[in-house]
Amino acid sequence: MVAARLAEIVGESHVLSRQSELLVYNSDGLPGYRRQPRLAVFPGTREETIAVIRFLAEQGLPFVPRGAGTGLSGGALADDIVIVGLHRLKKILSLDVENRRATVEPGVVNLRLNRHVAPHGLLYAPDPSSEAACTIGGNVAENAGGPHCLKYGVTLNHVLAMTVILPSGEIVELGSTVGERDGYDLRGAFIGSEGCFGLALDITVKLTPKPQAVRTLLADFMSVDQAAHVTSAIIASGIVPEALEFMDGATIRVVEDSIYAAGYPRDAEAILLIELDGLEAGVVADLETVRRICIDGGARNVRVARDDAERLKLWQGRKKAFGAMGRLAPHLIVQDAVIPRTKLPEILAAIHAISQKYNVLVCNVFHAGDGNLHPNIAYSADDPAESERVHKAMIEIMQACIAAGGSITGEHGVGLDKMGYMESIFTESSLNAMCELRGVFDPDHRSNPGKVVPVHSCKEWHGVKAARKARTETGASPLEAEPSRPVAG
Amino acid sequence: MSTERVTSAIRDCLASGTALRISGRGTWLDAGRPVRASNALSLAEDAGVVSYVPGDLTLTVRAGTTLSEIASITSERDQWLPLDPYGAADSTIGATLATASAGPLASSFGSPRDLLLGLEFVNGRGETIRAGGKVVKNVAGFDLSRLLTGSWGTLGVITEVTLRLYARPAADRTVRIDLDGPEKQVGSIVRAIVSSPLAPYTVLLLNAAAARALRIGASPVCLIRFGGNDAVVSAQVTALSQISRPEELDAKIWLDVRQLDGDAHSTIRISSLPQRVVANAARMLHDNAEAIRTCIDPRRGTVRIMVSADGDGADADGWSPDMNLRGDAGNHASEIIFEKLPAEIWAQVSPSVVSDPLSRGIKNAYDPLNILNPGILG
Repeated sequence: MVAARLAEIVGESHVLSRQSELLVYNSDGLPGYRRQPRLAVFPGTREETIAVIRFLAEQGLPFVPRGAGTGLSGGALADDIVIVGLHRLKKILSLDVENRRATVEPGVVNLRLNRHVAPHGLLYAPDPSSEAACTIGGNVAENAGGPHCLKYGVTLNHVLAMTVILPSGEIVELGSTVGERDGYDLRGAFIGSEGCFGLALDITVKLTPKPQAVRTLLADFMSVDQAAHVTSAIIASGIVPEALEFMDGATIRVVEDSIYAAGYPRDAEAILLIELDGLEAGVVADLETVRRICIDGGARNVRVARDDAERLKLWQGRKKAFGAMGRLAPHLIVQDAVIPRTKLPEILAAIHAISQKYNVLVCNVFHAGDGNLHPNIAYSADDPAESERVHKAMIEIMQACIAAGGSITGEHGVGLDKMGYMESIFTESSLNAMCELRGVFDPDHRSNPGKVVPVHSCKEWHGVKAARKARTETGASPLEAEPSRPVAG
Repeated sequence: MSTERVTSAIRDCLASGTALRISGRGTWLDAGRPVRASNALSLAEDAGVVSYVPGDLTLTVRAGTTLSEIASITSERDQWLPLDPYGAADSTIGATLATASAGPLASSFGSPRDLLLGLEFVNGRGETIRAGGKVVKNVAGFDLSRLLTGSWGTLGVITEVTLRLYARPAADRTVRIDLDGPEKQVGSIVRAIVSSPLAPYTVLLLNAAAARALRIGASPVCLIRFGGNDAVVSAQVTALSQISRPEELDAKIWLDVRQLDGDAHSTIRISSLPQRVVANAARMLHDNAEAIRTCIDPRRGTVRIMVSADGDGADADGWSPDMNLRGDAGNHASEIIFEKLPAEIWAQVSPSVVSDPLSRGIKNAYDPLNILNPGILG
């Protein structure tokens, strides 16, 4: 009945209800988690999207908004409920070159927006490594970052306004397309709400002028520790590179073995990929300062990309590193902790010790400049003993990052994957305050239920409505086999 | 003073059914709509550094810490918080965040929401809540830090904040360009500066009344601040001389710019598309009423208008923001933010900015008995 009505709205070919067809939607970019949706619906226009959400509201049905499904937190999984896929909403609605802003539909792919504005000397700054596939709507939901956010800030700093459809079907304007707006920062509250507050029908973003000059450096080191100290020294110098990325020896070698080989030195134990941008005169001076810091800090070699082709090749290796890890094992667990930047040497040493203790291969490739770690472990989920070791190693790594004063996620979001850690960084009243905020946008918790904040943290929800809605919320308990699920309690 | 004191003040109000007027050092109390509260809670004494790790470029302070204290603590390590809101230098960081106050540096470093990493606040039920964290990048949980920023104390009392700092630039130079020519010429200078590849920290256009208040002349003027390494700052000052004749000024001028409100009874901020502001800037600068001081940030698209009592523009009731910026009827071309108005005018001009269902829902959840700064946002 539901499928038939949805098919009337969007057309039969845009509703999937057979289990075999839905298999491809049972995971996101983090393949260790699987949830089978009941239905998937793909509206093709704004009007269809509104009709779909209003129909689901009338029926009281929970749903999960989904962009390109490249997320790395299990956030876009639907456990026996409806997926509302937005990738067909891919119109760039307007481009205002003079005022440097664009309005797009949520399914517009990040890189496509960048290609669209590039001829005008503009760029959209947030550049998640999945930029070739991920959508602006998904970026808003996750408050996505990327290598270049070190200087330019994350999605939150680049979205001016959105038209949002709430789970009730009501449409609201958040932020302002023409200027600052008075009152509560509802736009700020919505960005990073991981699909729990509704979905954006259009998004107006701020564009950034392309820098006059860009220089990309590759510094290689014979020890992880040296590269970590050089990272801290660059930050302390006051220079804000556009990007400051770290890759360890294990990552370098797996990238160099893959089709994304970038010409990194295979025998290095760590490389830093550093990009400086701005006005020519300033970049030239900063380049010398950074080169000196690297050499003084023990870099074996510092190479400056000679042209755009070489620069893009160096970046390609970095951006495709997660993909290259597919060569090592069928499954990959990716973490996203953030630590204070001065703790980098200490935490990298701790991660190394943990990987030895559990005999797992950790590949570190991350945004060193803002302390956003991505320890990855390639493993086979079909091997229970290995899964168990991976699972324990990841918990210890996360605990070390939390103990260092860090956060559990810098850009991937909480989703399902990190929900179990929320109580280790937030108090009960803080989690409840988050639940209350969600409750204003989505009183019945129908949009992306069972994600971000553990259900039992929500006082009102838990006490009053839990019994009635329990079924829709059971998705909150991940499977035993899921590797980064912390040990209960 | 501590978070517990705030908690108990709120609990006392809950018990007695009274409301609280929340303040920092009270330097900006005439801003916002009149508050209906019989009790006051000042955070001024709850000041000091909680933690400062220069290598991380992060600073955690209690909400009553003043911006000038933060400036002096961070400058010892060649760092700064690039936030220069209009108002007194000894206003508190808590009040600055609560009111989302920004100044000329915002066009390069963003507004308070962009510099805030995390905070602690006490809601209207007396519960202590922490949001965000102490690291520079963080998406754990829903973003309560942004929600509290600019909520004018109506959702919670901010008690502690963690901020992102920057290293002080090696060079920090301010120049002025006189805009004393005819309107057309001023317009082309402004357009040339804004469309040039220059990347100054700040471009601020001041009308003659504002320039006189700063004692830097009797005609409209453009202040430009450059920061960065020596090479990039010198190159830009040189490049600027191709457009006009820049004259060096002492950086202290920016402290005076922040005080431009003076005895203004009304302060209104118009925020619009940058090019719309650029197109209208010359005309607005030539409006020559002594009682109206105007600051224009053409890159950010904001016009800040301060009206004092002793001139033509004295009657705020009859005073109307620039119609060209407002746009044609029905065309929402600008946002108008009233910072300060005579008490009796508020209800007519801007009864409420939080009357939509989402804002009301959030207020009801965080301060169900409406005891925190009731009325200040309408």
